[in-house]
Amino acid sequence: MGWFDLKIISRHFDVPEAKDLEYYEKHGGYGAARRAMKTDPAAITAEVKASNLRGRGGAGFPTGIKWGFVPKGAETVYLVVNADESEPGTFKDRHILWWNPHALIEGMIIASRALGVRNAYIYIRGEMLREHPVLQRALDQAYAKGYLGERCFGSDMALDITIYRGAGAYICGEETALLSSLEGGRGWPRLKPPFPAVKGLWGQPTIVNNVETLANLPWILDNGGQAFADLGVGRSGGLRIVSVCGHVNRPGVYELPLTVTGRQLIEEVCGGMRGGRKVKGVIPGGVSMPLLSERELDVPFEFDALQTDERIQEVEVSPGVKFDLGGGKTLRSMAGSGGVVVMDEKTDMVSACWRILHFFADESCGQCTPCREGTGWLVKVVKRIDQGQGRPGDIDLVASIADGIAGNTICALGDAAAWPTLAFLTKFRGEFEAKIRSSTFVAQQRAAAEAAAVSMGATPDATAAAAAVGQGAS
Amino acid sequence: MTTKQLSPEIEARIQQLWPRFPPQNAAKALCIPVLFLAQQQFGLVDDEVVDLVAERLSLPAAHVKGTATFYTMFNKQPVGRFHLQVCTNIACQITGAYDVFDRCKKRLGVDNHGTTEDDSVTLTEVECLAACGYGPVAQIAERGGPEIPLYFENLDLERIDKILDALAEGRVPTEFGS
Repeated sequence: MGWFDLKIISRHFDVPEAKDLEYYEKHGGYGAARRAMKTDPAAITAEVKASNLRGRGGAGFPTGIKWGFVPKGAETVYLVVNADESEPGTFKDRHILWWNPHALIEGMIIASRALGVRNAYIYIRGEMLREHPVLQRALDQAYAKGYLGERCFGSDMALDITIYRGAGAYICGEETALLSSLEGGRGWPRLKPPFPAVKGLWGQPTIVNNVETLANLPWILDNGGQAFADLGVGRSGGLRIVSVCGHVNRPGVYELPLTVTGRQLIEEVCGGMRGGRKVKGVIPGGVSMPLLSERELDVPFEFDALQTDERIQEVEVSPGVKFDLGGGKTLRSMAGSGGVVVMDEKTDMVSACWRILHFFADESCGQCTPCREGTGWLVKVVKRIDQGQGRPGDIDLVASIADGIAGNTICALGDAAAWPTLAFLTKFRGEFEAKIRSSTFVAQQRAAAEAAAVSMGATPDATAAAAAVGQGAS
Repeated sequence: MTTKQLSPEIEARIQQLWPRFPPQNAAKALCIPVLFLAQQQFGLVDDEVVDLVAERLSLPAAHVKGTATFYTMFNKQPVGRFHLQVCTNIACQITGAYDVFDRCKKRLGVDNHGTTEDDSVTLTEVECLAACGYGPVAQIAERGGPEIPLYFENLDLERIDKILDALAEGRVPTEFGS
């Protein structure tokens, strides 16, 4: 078997009938859930812990350990599926919901058995008009078969799954914001702790898991946690679904071993770059994650490697000054949501940075001042650099705003705006400087300084001072 | 006082969804679903619709309005018969979304969030639609009709022209959708 022949969730992608319960069941589906009814819940959790399954939504937190945070003896526990995929560059969960909805439902039944859940919710992105009816139909089929409802698979376990539709807010992909939204209000993130596993939906212990995370559970129960762990590397088990977009020949959704490097992903999986052009930068896991330069593509796109591999440059606040992630930890990059954006040599990095910041400024929920104001300032300053109105000092200004947001907000959206900004500045500073050097603002300042110098009687000193204005890009 | 009334279909849907939530939390949890249904019925969520929803669910109008205004999918202003939504986020941007969006603005004669004079098309620049591999991407919703579960992918000037032609003829070009 080749190193990416094995498929877990994407086995039946592109098979239209795979959406049907009958097809899914014919290929072994719902066997794991059926067996789970007779399995001790603690044994299921132990299997998931052994599998080294890590959350596929972005944070990469070990799923079994998350489950373990639910207080023993809790009476009401909720399971909430985060299907609010909206991290730019990420489109994998949408594929799972469309091609393999029963894998998610089966995963939910298994998780509900392990956690003692009676009511589970799928929070689906409002914009997923195409996937919503597919998922609803799959649920209806599972109800009709008696796999859901009062007596799942004829057992004494009852489980209801309800789809809840979001209404257009990126922030609701953050788990506590999602819960606020599901309760029927603004999607405002909440301070952690308490973590949702202890105090979540309506104040009850709640596990929020990503679509891909849960869709892995049937395979784990069928093949054992150890087998899943063996597929992965280090502390990360299984395969990973990545979505690749941008300037590659074959963008799309691929289920791959975690050992795959950025270069393999582009060259071998996605058929190389469009038009044979060179790679300039790659965002490894959704726009929140610091981008990589071409030189950094030989690192596996795996949770730990992207954070620690020394081939990836550390993100800086200013040249030589490393960004502090807290506790003296430095920031390289992260695997995030598996959304890979590939940018070729013709990409304008200042413009790309501006568009990403425009997104975060738009999506900030407005609760925390550093994020609400800071993302707005960032987009203003980067926009003016991009549009040829940049001023000397703007790069330092952008870096200081970003540094002021990071770590100072309730949720990770602030960091998600700050980290990529600093990474763009660290790795493509020259492009920002060049735009400022050639900006109209600088030209006007230079002209004014020269005019002043002439009127004062030009001296070599004054001419040098005028020239320095033009050079003072940062 | 408003003369508007929530349709019997909405009432039926409320009855259906209510038991899915804990009794003491159901009214609030239904705020967003009912706002969606009300928008389908009335075409927008204005103060009158907010009041209707608040009254039906016994929620403070301030809460319902606060919720409605938080989310981009609730139209606070009337939109045209077709709501054309073009993504310009990073993956679409680097594959030419702004050319497509500019063509839309030029041909429709409107800016972002603008509606054509004949009230037929509203143009909106939207954030990531989770179809990044096939950018630039757009979505079209039709007022009164069911929402169209289609993405219009891999847009270029030629394709967007054909889509705009079809909208001008008063139809959604489903043949270009996927």
